[in-house]
Amino acid sequence: MTPMPRSPGSLSAALAPLVLPDAGGEPVRLGSLWEERPAVVVFLRHYG
Amino acid sequence: MRAHEQEVTGAGAAIAAVGLGDRAYASRFREETGIDFPLLVDEERRAYRVAGLKSGSLLHLLRRDNARARKRASAAGHRQRRLGRDPFQLGASFVFGPGDRDLYVHLSETFGDNAPVGELVAAVAGYGDGR
Repeated sequence: MTPMPRSPGSLSAALAPLVLPDAGGEPVRLGSLWEERPAVVVFLRHYG
Repeated sequence: MRAHEQEVTGAGAAIAAVGLGDRAYASRFREETGIDFPLLVDEERRAYRVAGLKSGSLLHLLRRDNARARKRASAAGHRQRRLGRDPFQLGASFVFGPGDRDLYVHLSETFGDNAPVGELVAAVAGYGDGR
């Protein structure tokens, strides 16, 4: 599938402030994942 | 993704996954799959909503591309573990860069529609080339 066109930065900027816990319960601000280098972020359909 | 982790990290990117289950579910998943990249828990579907991810339907199960995807997954040794909180939730893959740059966006159109790993790696490499 061809990557969907979006305005530059719109999605990462919207997701960046969200804070989610990791599997150990530690809070992670999504934007911290790509703050210093690119990050591949995969949204799973389900755990399996 | 876990099978291609080295390709992605070798290109200079971090990897993280987001799922809808609870923490116990996420812990079990990590143990069963052996992944060691961060697995984030989005029980309230906040990130899924912000990202605008789609939902499938029973009709999607009948699509030929789904049958092909199931065959590919089975041949590669993957097996379905649990249906999870919402079996119709579709996934997505993104590459984001410093300064909140959207380097790559792939929203799944149906259950077996996953981003080709080569495209993810190319997006990471493209960031390094264009810096």
